[in-house]
Parts: sequence; C-alpha cells; structure tokens
Amino acid sequence: MKNQYYVTKYDVKADNAFALEDNIMVKDGLTTAGSKMLHNYISPIDATVVRKLLDKGMELAGKTKLDEFAVMGVSGDNNELSGVVGAVLDKTCRIALCNDVFGKVRRQAAENCLYYIRPTYGTVSRFGLVQTVSSMDQIGIVCGDLDEGIETLSVIAGHDENDSTTQGDGSLALNSKGPLKEGKYTIGIPVNVMNKTDEKSKEAIKELASKYHTEEFELEHFEVLSQVMYILSSAEIGNNTSRYDGVKFGYRSENYEGLKDLYTNSRTEGFGLNMKLTSIIGAMVLSSGNYEKFYLKAMKIRRQIKEQCDELFKGFDAIAMPLTLDSQDPYVNLALYALAPLCGLPSLSVPLGSNNGVQLISQAMNENVLFDICKGGR
Amino acid sequence: MDIKDLLQYEKMVKFDLPESEREWIIEQANMLEKSFEALSGIDTDKTEPLISPIEVQNPLREDVAHKTFSRDEILANSPEQYDGYFLVPKTIE
Repeated sequence: MKNQYYVTKYDVKADNAFALEDNIMVKDGLTTAGSKMLHNYISPIDATVVRKLLDKGMELAGKTKLDEFAVMGVSGDNNELSGVVGAVLDKTCRIALCNDVFGKVRRQAAENCLYYIRPTYGTVSRFGLVQTVSSMDQIGIVCGDLDEGIETLSVIAGHDENDSTTQGDGSLALNSKGPLKEGKYTIGIPVNVMNKTDEKSKEAIKELASKYHTEEFELEHFEVLSQVMYILSSAEIGNNTSRYDGVKFGYRSENYEGLKDLYTNSRTEGFGLNMKLTSIIGAMVLSSGNYEKFYLKAMKIRRQIKEQCDELFKGFDAIAMPLTLDSQDPYVNLALYALAPLCGLPSLSVPLGSNNGVQLISQAMNENVLFDICKGGR
Repeated sequence: MDIKDLLQYEKMVKFDLPESEREWIIEQANMLEKSFEALSGIDTDKTEPLISPIEVQNPLREDVAHKTFSRDEILANSPEQYDGYFLVPKTIE
C-alpha cells in the first residue's frame, strides 16, 4: 500500500496509528533517512519512541518521506510538503513523529492547520533516531488535535538509559489540572524580527496580540542566528555522517581498487549534493584557521543567545516567533527556527487563521505553559 | 573557498566530487562564508562556548554488562562479509 507521503505504508486503522519519519528505526524494517547511503539499511532495533507507542497499543501507519537526513537545503525550493505533515493532513494516521531541527515541519504544520510539538532537548529519547545534529536533535510530534499530541508526549517522554541526555520521568509535568498561572500570560514579541516578516506573519502575530497580553522586545543576535545555526549544525552533521564509509552498513560503491577508494567512492556516490555541501562546510569551519573564527565563535554566541533567553523568560511566559520572513530564502528564514534547537527550548507551532500561524517558545521543561496558552489560558 | 581549498576539504571528508558539483559547492560555500563574517562583529571575549543546551549532569546507568547485539546481527547490514568479519579490500601489500 503506497501513499504519496510515505516510503512504506501499512494497512492499519488510521485512528489508532502513528507515522514515523524514515529516520526513526523500526526493528527489521528499512530506515533510509531519505538517502541512497542507507538505501538498504535494515534496523536491528525499535527506537525507544516506537517501542513505547507500540506498548500503548498504537499501530504503525508507515514511514514517511523526508529530505536527505532531514537536513535543510540552503538554496532552491524548500516548500515540498514534509511526509509527516502530509500523512497527518491526509488523516492516514493520528500523529506523526519526526526530528525537525531546521524548522520546515514547524512552519508547514502551522500553515496546514496542524500543531507541532518540539519538546525540550532531552525530554524524548533519541535512541533509534538516525543522528544528524546531536546537540539539537529532538523527536517531536505533528498532530491535528493538540490533546492527542500532549497525550503522545506523555507516553514518549522520560529517561531512557540508551540516551544519556534524557531527563528523569518527573521532570516534565503534563496534563495539569486547572490553570497553571494566576492572571494573564505575557507573551514577548520580538519587534526587530517582526520588522523583517511578511504580511502573512504580521497578521498572525496581530491575531495573537488581540487575544493575549503581549509586550515587545528586541531579540539580540537575530541577524546572526542563521549563521550560528548553520556553522554548528554543519560541523555536527559532518562528524555524524563520517560513519558512512561503505564497510559496516549502507551503500557500497561497486567501483574501487583499495580501501581509500572504497570509502571515497561510496561516500561520493551515496550522498546527495546538499549533504556534500554540508559536510564540506563542516570540514571548513572545523579546520585550523577557521575553527576559532567560525566554530568556536558560534559556540560562544550560542551561549550569549541562551543567556538572553534565560533573562527573557524572567519577564515572559513565552516568546512568539513568526513563521516566515519577507524573503523566500531558506537560509535567511533559518533564523526563525534556530532559537529552540540552539537553546534546547520547547516550541509549539500553532495554527492561526487560514494557512497561517506562529511558533511559541517557552523556558525549558515548560511545555505545559505553551499548551495552556494555546488552549486559551489568558 | 577556491578549488585548492575544496580539494583539501574533499580529502578530509572523503569525497571525490565531479566538476559540476565542485562549481556549485564553491559558489554556495563562498556565499555562506561571506555571511559567516558577520560573527566577527560580536564581542565574545568574556564568553565561554556552549556545546550542549543542557548543562545538567547526565544521568548514568549502572555499570552492569548487558546483552546488545550478536555478531550475526551486526554483520547483517554489511555490504560484504567473510567468515564473521567485515570484508574490505586488501590494505597491506
């Protein structure tokens, strides 16, 4: 059974089924991460999230299409609908799980009247997820009904001894009864970001401001968020993909003479152009002469960004970020999606109006605040 | 980035790119590198680098041996194997 959003589709009842981006492993099934490099990789394990959902009695609807290793292209069309968004939109499953580091799913979910929950870094086990950007990877949930998303998060969250970054089971309070806060929530609106957004995003933020108490602020370093994100992610992607060498698993070239040839030809033939660019940039920013100027500098700015967020959340319950800037360039727009992965913060993509929405970001482990705001807590 | 730089990076990440891809990658890399220069305007002299967004101590498991994968399971995905080993071209003449 095939569907345009799936790589593999099973015949199950959609109302009790979950879909997975094809970089999350299911035992004895193919996991390609959308790459020729893993075209024949059969997973020996179930990812922890898969095991937890199956144990709860849910069924697997299938594995969905994704960009190669879910890595964003810096140029060209970035608008093809993500498999996970298409699968939920098509109602072939109740919820879908993916690892949205670069923001494509966060944007597309809200634009298509769906929600995307990107939990705090370390909330959900990444065991069985094909590693891409280790310090930012975090499995999240696409859902049409927020309560179903919250219920799913309560199932998949928690410590897993196979992923040492995961936090204790009690660290995430979900499904609180009653209001979380006395009085109104205060949502911060980054005025310097809003000055660069398109009309559609301005409308969405305006709608948000009509319902909630909002205050404007200046988001420092917004002009370099894309750069910091790209430098750090390229370096990590370059390292994480160095394991694909045609020896232990994955694609092996038929054209080689010695071992060096085997590595080089397998990698050259197995990776797509965007992954090659990313790996080359990763090597560039980590090489002597560039390390301090780019990589170390980006890590230091990452700390300054995180420290600013810590300060902001003393005054705001959440920050609202628009979905698109007044440029179509995916690299420029990356700045909108960098804050949550760089700082490990939870974000919730919320649909507003027609084909429109915002991302709400809160303090770490404060997913409940985002859910409460979204459900109408004023 | 020029072709000399690119060839050096290709060697580091084990690629042997066709000319058409080299041209595109140099063009994209130069655009990116130019944008990276914006970082130099930010004062980070007194800032420590941030490697991971969570700086709490990682919870560790008990140091107890447990079963992971059998040799057959590990070899199952290898493109070529022989007598329980990964098979690679001859490395010592």
